[in-house]
Amino acid sequence: MVLLFGQILQTQGTDLNTILQMLYSFAFIIYLFYAQKIQTLQMLRQIEVTLRKVKTVKEEARNQTIKTLIEIGKPTGDIAPRVDRFIDFFSIGLESMDPAGIVDKMDHFLKTNKHIYEAEVKVLAPNATPTERNNLENLIEVSQALNIFYKIIRHYYLLGKKTMNIYVIMQVHMILPQLVQMVEAYSSGIQAFEQGMPIGDGVGPIVAGKLMHGYPQRDIAEEIVAADVPYEGRTLVVFKAKGPGGSVGNPDEGLINIIEEHKGKVKIIIMIDAAGKLEGEPVGQVSEGIGAAIGGSGKEKFKMEEVTNKYKIPMHAIAIKEGMEHVVAPLVEPLFDATDKAVESVKRIIMDYTEPGDIVVIAGIGNTIGVGQ
Amino acid sequence: MGEKPGNESKTAAGMQVSWVAYAAILVVGLLSLFSLYMGFINYPDNSDIAIIYMFIGAAGFAAIGYMLVRGKPASAKNEPLEVKKVEVFTTLECPKCQQKRVRDFKRGDYVFKDDEPCTRCDGMMMITKIARKKEEDGKKKDESNWL
Repeated sequence: MVLLFGQILQTQGTDLNTILQMLYSFAFIIYLFYAQKIQTLQMLRQIEVTLRKVKTVKEEARNQTIKTLIEIGKPTGDIAPRVDRFIDFFSIGLESMDPAGIVDKMDHFLKTNKHIYEAEVKVLAPNATPTERNNLENLIEVSQALNIFYKIIRHYYLLGKKTMNIYVIMQVHMILPQLVQMVEAYSSGIQAFEQGMPIGDGVGPIVAGKLMHGYPQRDIAEEIVAADVPYEGRTLVVFKAKGPGGSVGNPDEGLINIIEEHKGKVKIIIMIDAAGKLEGEPVGQVSEGIGAAIGGSGKEKFKMEEVTNKYKIPMHAIAIKEGMEHVVAPLVEPLFDATDKAVESVKRIIMDYTEPGDIVVIAGIGNTIGVGQ
Repeated sequence: MGEKPGNESKTAAGMQVSWVAYAAILVVGLLSLFSLYMGFINYPDNSDIAIIYMFIGAAGFAAIGYMLVRGKPASAKNEPLEVKKVEVFTTLECPKCQQKRVRDFKRGDYVFKDDEPCTRCDGMMMITKIARKKEEDGKKKDESNWL
């Protein structure tokens, strides 16, 4: 047919050729003007595909949360509306226009937040044990995070569709791979929090647990346990969040209490925490440095730095490297194996920087879900 | 109120719009193909016109290629985004006789838990390790080996 059409065009002479040529030119001029529009539509389509996927994950997280709450907590009545309301729960960030005293405000804010979560989970899962309640709090937090991701992507998608403004659409399109990575990371945490499995963030508490296991333990702050461990003539005061429920505790208060207990006579502090790896770094690499190895809101870090500065105590840091996808996902083997390497690093630092008779404080920072002591 | 499940038609509309984009690409592609064909047909008799035809055809394909490559983010791969379930195993060890046992993880397991009596001696087996099985698909290469 194409051949036949070509032959007809040839026989018709130059006039038809000219008309066709003009037609093509016109089509390309149209394409020239609407290329950006077409590109915009294509970007919108890709955002929509991702949005659908995020919606699926978010809904699965919500359903899994309700299922686990019913299974463990055995509540009476329908908890779904209350769960939906709590998944939409928000907290308003602090005003930092006048930053003086913001750390105490942050402390109060975080405690209020924690209290709300505890109270809600207590109502949603009345028959759950304290350990299970901690895990359920974490599970709800995952559902909340996925819900926020979904709402933000949907906001930019709908706004972009409404305005057809390429710059609005590009804002979310450009960060789509990172958003997907974060959603994947959170989604892998559902299984861990539902079952109470150790997660990537739990490497710090595992290291502390390996050092303190078998020694008498005491509560030194809210959800923090410590043990005095003799080692090569030194006294190691090892502390971590109280497991095996999903909790990070209040390590800043733990450290302050231990240092005050010993009237500041602590030779060094060693903190072990999971740290984000750079692309190319192997999972489970153990690196050593100085400073307060702790993430979070910054409140804990600030308070720890304050007390160590007051008594001029050096802080050593051990970081166990992991990717974003490992942080809340069930622990991978290289990370678990890295905890042995970290224990060796702790012992080496103790031997290198302390003398017999010294007191050394060791802090295992992170979420202790699935890790006892 | 905000977007509830009832707004599917809106997203479905978005899907239709994007099909318009694909249709436009298809039309331009067909025209470009025909333009190239015309270029080849006309080349022996009227090479000037033929070159213009061929240029238009090539430009059309270049524009389509650019559109498709540029508009494709890394996330747009057809990999499904779903809640993954992984296999997690629990390792138990007897502190007395060093007997070791590996089994699937079950709810309530935690590291350092005295879990079950040892089958070899009268000691209690303790959970020493909980980790997920290694990924076997080999998709993820360890870049650190060659960089």
